[in-house]
Amino acid sequence: MVMVTRQKMKVRRKRRSGSSARLRGGAIRRSSGFSRKGRRGVRPSTGRRYAGIPLQRLKAKAWAAGARAAAQDGAEKGSPQMQACFQAWAQAERVDQLPFTALLTASLAYRRGYAHAAGLSKMWIPLPLKSRASAIVTASNEEQTLPAVLAELRKLPLHEIIVVLNGCDDASFTVVDRDPRITRLSFPERLGHDVGRAIGAAIATGDILLFTDGDMCVAAEDLAAFLIAIDRGEDLALNDLTPHLPPFSQQDEVTRCKAFLNLALGHPELKANSLTAVPNALSRRAVRTVGTAALIVPPKAQALALVRGLKAGAPISVDVIRKNRLRTSNSGAGNAVARMIVGDHLEALGEVMKTEGVRLRFSTIGRSELAKVRNAR
Amino acid sequence: MPHSSGQLYVCRYQPPGQSYTEVYAPVLSRFWEEIDVVKKRKRPRIRLNRKPIQRPKVLPRLVNHPDPIVSIIIPAMNERATIASVLREAGLVHPRSETIVVVNGSTDGTAELAEACGAHVIHVPEPLGHDVGRRVGAEAARGQVLLFIDADMVIPARELRPFVNAVLTGVDVALNSYSGPVRGKVAHPVVLAKHVLNGVLQRPDLRGASLTAVPHAMSRTAVDTVGLDALEVPPLALAKAIRLGLNVQPVHTVPVGKLNPARGRIGKKGSRVDPLTALVAGDHLEAIHWLLLQQGPRGGYSDLGRQRGKVR
Repeated sequence: MVMVTRQKMKVRRKRRSGSSARLRGGAIRRSSGFSRKGRRGVRPSTGRRYAGIPLQRLKAKAWAAGARAAAQDGAEKGSPQMQACFQAWAQAERVDQLPFTALLTASLAYRRGYAHAAGLSKMWIPLPLKSRASAIVTASNEEQTLPAVLAELRKLPLHEIIVVLNGCDDASFTVVDRDPRITRLSFPERLGHDVGRAIGAAIATGDILLFTDGDMCVAAEDLAAFLIAIDRGEDLALNDLTPHLPPFSQQDEVTRCKAFLNLALGHPELKANSLTAVPNALSRRAVRTVGTAALIVPPKAQALALVRGLKAGAPISVDVIRKNRLRTSNSGAGNAVARMIVGDHLEALGEVMKTEGVRLRFSTIGRSELAKVRNAR
Repeated sequence: MPHSSGQLYVCRYQPPGQSYTEVYAPVLSRFWEEIDVVKKRKRPRIRLNRKPIQRPKVLPRLVNHPDPIVSIIIPAMNERATIASVLREAGLVHPRSETIVVVNGSTDGTAELAEACGAHVIHVPEPLGHDVGRRVGAEAARGQVLLFIDADMVIPARELRPFVNAVLTGVDVALNSYSGPVRGKVAHPVVLAKHVLNGVLQRPDLRGASLTAVPHAMSRTAVDTVGLDALEVPPLALAKAIRLGLNVQPVHTVPVGKLNPARGRIGKKGSRVDPLTALVAGDHLEAIHWLLLQQGPRGGYSDLGRQRGKVR
């Protein structure tokens, strides 16, 4: 009998606690529902005009604007026209001042709206660029990847695409499509690393120069970030490799050299980001300041640009470390390419030491004064 | 047992007429009064967690050998707190040694203390810094092995002997293989500079080892080869030692990062800004500059057949 009553009591207690918990839970859920509704307006601000408006509404608005632009009668329909319409709309709605992710969302929605209304496909990604953009692709025996690389580039509102082929024994030349925007340059002999990009930069006419390699395919959406960064006033837009780096103890010589160069030039915030890594973009001002010949040695161009006070940033991170095609020359510790890049960094340091002095940005406070500061009693 | 019970009885026996309270009560009351007086005075309680009282240690006087094999060089500026212990450990490193303390810019009696300990003291009135201090010490050194340590951290003699032994067995420059903290993605500027310099000197096996860090030892040949002037810029001395074909080896790890007292002022975000960082990083650039002068604008690294003439 005693046992039974105990059990009953236990059950009753459990039930009571259960019901009370349910009640409390319900109350919490209801209140949380309210709070979520209230929080909707407190999104991080995305721009002056769009502060407080969620991305979903921006998307819908962009889609509608795109569809309206395509529905205007009389005008010709096509990607260049869409680009012009988007630019006007973005300026009017101040979408061009949004951070890149929001801008890209609007741009893609606008494109969908326009394509839907005009019944077109394979449209460009419209971008609010104030100046003309050129892309420079260097390739040597890349018939496998080159078409995909060019397909991504053609999605962007570029003024021209310059393909510099050198030392190709395969069908690289023929796989490059005939497109009014593409300029093909072909050199029978190998030019060596980064010489092709300097040649491409020399003949490019745009104010934004986007550099990529023919051996790795980077999505057009990622490349757009470099164009936008330059258009907004930066001079060097570098690929942010920091998320893909191992801890310092496991980093290779090249990464350390890159970080040291930036540090020595007074830009520790650039970490190990370098013009050596593609994709990257330069402004016309940067090319004019450092000279096309300096682009042959990317760290040298970067060092000269930083020393001469140009603005550098790393707008987006594209994982090129894993995508990079492995060859015997670029894999393993102390490989030929790595040694060449270390040499590039030494050349860059030597070049800036000529004008800035041997100690560059590091203070020239004497050892004696330093001892006074540190050990004074 | 009757015998034992009788014994017990004898023990407890009290003479009749004088009871226990009659004899002892006055004595006890006086005792308690005294206790009260003491309590009112609040005699300090004995604290068990107190540090033992620091007594001046009886230091064996250093003996500078007339014909030394090992010269121990210690630059010091205002290091009264540690110099005696540093000298005690230095004296235990090698039986035939001399200890040279380069006292520079001191105002706290470091020189007198070092002399009292028996070291050979070089006085310089103005502050020199570690590196110039080492050079001044090296000028005066007579041994075949030069061991460089600092006066602000006490390193036990058993941690110093490996450096001396390495130089005695054929190494020219014996480095501390301590590389500094390298766990994060971004290393301290000085750590980065050391790694980069060793890398461009094609000695990645040295990792972050450097002549900037103590303790390190050099042979007489090494000092003559790199020159005394180069000792004032330690990374330059290391670059010269490696490039001129000396046997440079990391021989032993002494984690000096933990022993080094924190210095410098507190900068932004509570981090410490030490002016030494910029000096050491600049020293590494000087070393790289020397390498570029020696090996051409690319420091001896190839261009992998770049056709630079194609670009106008």
